[in-house]
Amino acid sequence: MYGGGNVFEATKFDDVQTEDPAKLAEFEARIARGEKIEPTDWMPELYRKQLIRMIEQHAHSEIIGALPEGTWITRAPGFRRKMAQMAKVQDEVGHAQLLYSAAETLGKSREQMLTDLISGKSKYSNVFNYPAFTWADSNIISWLIDAGAIVNQMANAKGSYGPYSRALERICAEEAFHLKYGHDAVVHMATGTPKQREMIQAALNRWWPPIMTFFGPSDKMSTHTETLMRWKVKMASNDECRQQFLDMYVPKIWELGLTVPDPKLKKNMETGQWEFTEPDWDEFKRVINGDGPCNAERLAVRRTAEERGAWVRRALLNPKAKYVRPLA
Amino acid sequence: MSLKSLDPRVTRLNLPEGEVPAMEPKPELDQFETYEAFHQKKEGTAYTYVGPVHAPNEDVAFLFAKEQYSRRFACTGMWIARTENIQLTPYGNDNDNVYDTIQFDEPTQRSEQPEPYEIFHLKKRGKAHAHAGRVMATSYQEALQEAKQQFGEKGPIVNVWVVKSKDVLQSAEEDKDMWTTIPEKKYREAIAYKVMDKITKYKEENKPTTAQ
Repeated sequence: MYGGGNVFEATKFDDVQTEDPAKLAEFEARIARGEKIEPTDWMPELYRKQLIRMIEQHAHSEIIGALPEGTWITRAPGFRRKMAQMAKVQDEVGHAQLLYSAAETLGKSREQMLTDLISGKSKYSNVFNYPAFTWADSNIISWLIDAGAIVNQMANAKGSYGPYSRALERICAEEAFHLKYGHDAVVHMATGTPKQREMIQAALNRWWPPIMTFFGPSDKMSTHTETLMRWKVKMASNDECRQQFLDMYVPKIWELGLTVPDPKLKKNMETGQWEFTEPDWDEFKRVINGDGPCNAERLAVRRTAEERGAWVRRALLNPKAKYVRPLA
Repeated sequence: MSLKSLDPRVTRLNLPEGEVPAMEPKPELDQFETYEAFHQKKEGTAYTYVGPVHAPNEDVAFLFAKEQYSRRFACTGMWIARTENIQLTPYGNDNDNVYDTIQFDEPTQRSEQPEPYEIFHLKKRGKAHAHAGRVMATSYQEALQEAKQQFGEKGPIVNVWVVKSKDVLQSAEEDKDMWTTIPEKKYREAIAYKVMDKITKYKEENKPTTAQ
């Protein structure tokens, strides 16, 4: 599972002019040839910074995203669903491990990333600041949030940074189960009793607005964005991802006789583009900056886990341990 | 006031609500050292790099790697090495052979007993290092030289990792049964979910009735 919606803000290191021109040319030529960048290669500061930011946010989204679904393990209806829900949550946490390591190869320690998550300095996917009221909400997350994540991750897996691509390949393979599991759960509810149908429709209505913000606002096409696309850091625009998601999943929602709570949603056959009500980006900004229904809870739960487990980690620490960055 | 959640287990944690003092930054090595894991996907195939884990020691690293990297896919064996103990060459371009670009020093005097080293090759950037073989040497440098002679000819080699065999924790032959997955775990496979039957049935039953 992943939060997309990367907002590529300009940074102070925006200026690639200060980079060594010969090294920069070699770096760009490598990417143009379709070769991957590996951790010990020379890379521009902007490339390093944006990748750390992106991979780190992705990792945070995995562990925070496991919380609203993890909540439902004990209350999942039936043993088989409990087992499957548990396996999925375990996968998500595993994905965070893979991603933190990939970000670490770029020079930011896992300790620092976790500190920044808890202090609110680094973000995670905004959709997880919303609550999962019922089992049906958990099903919608498993299906549609994971579906959105896969659109994003498949694109990013083709990016230029070796360790991130390797991690994503593994993650995508594991996500195949999540998507099918989520779809199965939604289909079960949608084809069940009137009460079950009502529950899944209500959950879809609650989750649709956050889902539409999942890929983030339209990208401002700046030189900055163009550079990141040329370097294969950003592989598709937020709008392209959103369109692809709608293309793939709206028909699957409709075939179950469910409705999407947006009267404007339709595919324009001339342009081939989906038209929809513009998501509430003011709310998006407000929530991502801390003022959402679950922000405080998500971070408090994460922080408690960190703090209450600290003594175990201290007890296990080998006094001769020395930190070395992972190799790949 | 403590934090109220939809999840009763979270409510029971009695977490403080509202402004709380900032958390102390996590101390260095709070997340331990890193180890690199190599898995064998199928009996008789080369061990291949799967990724790092953080752990307080080799044994825990093995357990973490087993959870992380063998949980979902077929695996018949796992090797673990501390990142610190692996030495690597610079990365070459795709299609190059990095052995050709390394300047080897004059052979060192064989004052010590040679010992085994494991050699891993990366054939293409973005792919994973795979075990090329084992050589006998008295230093990492010499191991690399040996490796060039023994397996350095075949195809492009972008990067080489060298590690002393004694620094690699290898899963044992007699523990093989730890890798068998029980069939009851099919719920973790996409193939276990057959939604199409349900959807088709639903569509059949809910066909819009055409006017007579």
